[in-house]
Amino acid sequence: MRILIVGAGAVGFHLAHHLSAAGHDIVLVDPDRERAAYAQDQLDIMTVVGNGASLAVLEQAGIAETDLLAAVTNVDEVNMIACMAAGQHNVPTKVARVSNPEYFSERFRHRNAQRGVDVMINPELECAWETFQLLQSEAASELAFFAGGRVQLLGLTVHEGAPVVGRSLAEIAAAEPDRRYLTVAIRRGDETIIPRGKDRFEPEDQVYIIGESKQMPRVLELAGYHGFKLRRVMIAGGGRTSVYLARILQDHDIDCTIIEADRTRCVELAEELEKTLILHGDATDMELLEMEGVEGLDGFVVLTGSDDTNMLSSLLAKDLGVRKVVALINKIDYIPLVGKVGIDAAVSPRMSAVNTILKYVRRGIVVSVAALRGIEAEVIEFSVEPGSRIAGHTLADIDFPKNSLVGSVIRGDDVIVPTGQLTLAHGDKVAVLALPDAVKDVEKLFQ
Amino acid sequence: MTRQQTSSTNDVIHVVGPIVAAVGVAMGISAIISLLYQGEGAVALTVSAGIAVAVGLAANKLTATPDDISIREGYIIVTVAWLSAALFGALPYWLAGFATPLDAFFESISGFTTTGASIFPDPGALPPGILFWRDMSQWLGGMGIIVLVVAVLPFLGVGGMQLFRAEVPGPTPERLRPRIRQTASILWRVYVGLTAAQVILYLLGGMSVFDAVTHAFGTMPTGGFSPRTASLGYYSAYHQYVTIFFMYLAGVNFSLHYRALHGKPRSLLEDEEWRFYTILLGVALTIVLAAHLLAGTYDSLEEVFRASAFQVVSIGTTTGFATADYVTWPAVTQVVLFFLMFVGGMAGSTGGGMKTLRLWAALKQGVVELRKHLHPRAVMVTRVGGRVVSEGIMLNILAFMLLYVASFILGALLLAVLGVDIVTAAGASAAAIGNIGPGLASVGPAENYSWMPELGKAVLCVLMLLGRLEIYTVLVLFHPEFWRR
Repeated sequence: MRILIVGAGAVGFHLAHHLSAAGHDIVLVDPDRERAAYAQDQLDIMTVVGNGASLAVLEQAGIAETDLLAAVTNVDEVNMIACMAAGQHNVPTKVARVSNPEYFSERFRHRNAQRGVDVMINPELECAWETFQLLQSEAASELAFFAGGRVQLLGLTVHEGAPVVGRSLAEIAAAEPDRRYLTVAIRRGDETIIPRGKDRFEPEDQVYIIGESKQMPRVLELAGYHGFKLRRVMIAGGGRTSVYLARILQDHDIDCTIIEADRTRCVELAEELEKTLILHGDATDMELLEMEGVEGLDGFVVLTGSDDTNMLSSLLAKDLGVRKVVALINKIDYIPLVGKVGIDAAVSPRMSAVNTILKYVRRGIVVSVAALRGIEAEVIEFSVEPGSRIAGHTLADIDFPKNSLVGSVIRGDDVIVPTGQLTLAHGDKVAVLALPDAVKDVEKLFQ
Repeated sequence: MTRQQTSSTNDVIHVVGPIVAAVGVAMGISAIISLLYQGEGAVALTVSAGIAVAVGLAANKLTATPDDISIREGYIIVTVAWLSAALFGALPYWLAGFATPLDAFFESISGFTTTGASIFPDPGALPPGILFWRDMSQWLGGMGIIVLVVAVLPFLGVGGMQLFRAEVPGPTPERLRPRIRQTASILWRVYVGLTAAQVILYLLGGMSVFDAVTHAFGTMPTGGFSPRTASLGYYSAYHQYVTIFFMYLAGVNFSLHYRALHGKPRSLLEDEEWRFYTILLGVALTIVLAAHLLAGTYDSLEEVFRASAFQVVSIGTTTGFATADYVTWPAVTQVVLFFLMFVGGMAGSTGGGMKTLRLWAALKQGVVELRKHLHPRAVMVTRVGGRVVSEGIMLNILAFMLLYVASFILGALLLAVLGVDIVTAAGASAAAIGNIGPGLASVGPAENYSWMPELGKAVLCVLMLLGRLEIYTVLVLFHPEFWRR
């Protein structure tokens, strides 16, 4: 597929990186010469320097042959205009990154669709939802939903002394005959393992499980987690993501507090969020955190603009006994550190945006996709189409690449834990975990 | 063409002129009523009307048209206009020989400020023309004489907002339309419409046309002058219930009436201040009822309910009509009524007092301050009706309440110095600044103000004007900086 990306900022760059690795042809447009040059150096893509909202620049970038346009600059209006311009060349799918909530009203969306913006993606809102989902489970470091939420991918760390420690996958499978979940990957130290039946769990393993959402409480129990209910949350940093998250928490009647260092912004927040307590102060101010009863919190979320502050503040909160700490980490290099130092989960609006856009890029046989952060892997939900080569074959017969694993098969209302003897049928939805080198081969199987 | 810069004195006289003339026209109407019913007082009213119209028009014609009205001038104009209206409006009482000049002025300013405190021991004995003028002056004062002139006369384009702001009750006048004149005329139409509705309901109950109109003129502005010495106690239960209902409506923000009448009846229920106003009256009524039932003051349940509701709504909306002498009621009920004197109607209503909006906002601010003690570093805002009350407005509200209470205390103190007993002094001061009329003890609903020492009457006149013009407009004139160029 030929994909045109407008904007070579963090979202554009990572999107280009993922899509290029997945075998697509990428053209990246950005007015900043240096940024464009950097992207061209780092990635196997073509860059065009110029204004992405200009039709002439888009034509130069080959808009006529483009299958998908993703406009992801940090200016909403530029993104929308780029999509409208692409509409003149009949680009099939046009995605715009839009952050201003005013553009998300029902009427505006409708009008935008007519004008050529097929999909609007709000990174901050996506990130807020992701954070909310992570907060709801004490264990989850990663969470993604498939089949309309019936199946989920859960990433968690195995506790010392948990029931599964020291046991092999096969032993647990035998002990849990009703299970409808599967361990698809284990990260141990710097190594990522696609586990087989004989592999054993060790404490501090970062484990990825795909399975029926209903059974996840049992999974948490096995990994050593007990009763957790989200009641009180504190958010450090008062940016747009925080506002979205606070709104979601308010809607779920969860007690919410925001700490923001800028006094003027505090007043704005207090005006905007009626039920949220706004505190003026620093996210790393121990005295303030203790005064506001941080030790009694269920969740602590750090969403300031600085990764360093976020890391430090998360560690403080964890040290003070908060059960679930989620931090915004923009620097991709920092993400593997998150689990090591004891922060429960990392989020980033950029990654959320990339993830959402990936779903639209892979549309067709791909129903849904989630790029994981803790390990370099993707979970892709495929649909088995009529006339597919693999329909009617057992999983053992199908030659899945080495670095991939079928996590779950959704057939009608049933969630089936795959075994070698399972025969795939038309209409099945299959959730597959694949490491980057395997993604292309797995996609080929389903075509 | 360059226009000559006009002086402030010129501007004030020029604008106040038509207002005085308008008062004259209203007195002329009263003179006609007087002739229709019975001759007495007609001469005094006609002469007064002639003087007011002549002086008003002359003042306007002999001065140059100002090109702009400054904020400063706006305050002087409003205060001077109200004083002039009261002064010219006092003429009939004096010329007809019913009152001394001071008493006449007291009666007149009590009318225009919609207070309803009277120096006439037996109003029922006065001629119809004079009685009509009493209630007419209240009706004009309720929605604001200046607003009337702004709404009807086209000449006040500039500076209209200054005058509007200075006269309309409540911390922030709401704009229903982009232009002041449009907003003012909408409010006046609602006012006239409600008055007409009340007259019709009175007539359906068998009240005479004269009585119906004068009582409606006393109700909608939350005034309280009744042509009957026994006030509403003279009439049937039906008429009393109609009065309760319309007094209640008069205490509601007129912008809300307008919205409710224009296909948005829910805007009433959704209004936070309206809920507070209604619940507050409900709570007060419950306490008064309970006190009566415990004390066994009344025999019939309907009667005790009607008497309690009438007095609570009458005092709560600062109207001041009466069907019972609450001075003889249990002490608890009098404390409740005394408290209600300070609350008053909603902002944007014709009611006096501090206004429920201010009290509600202050209460909410109180809760915020409490929460701030729990979270010293918290940044909190106070919301009323979903909208954030800025710090500036909140300080304005709190300072208003302080000045209001300070004025009340000073007034009560001065009355006490003049030898008035403490309960009467407090009641009279609260009733005057709250534009209610009847106070406590010797100025209760069955009494009147004729016995007051002369100086005491003067003090009450100042308090009535302070209350009606919401303190700042008048007090600002006493700030030394105001007179510095």
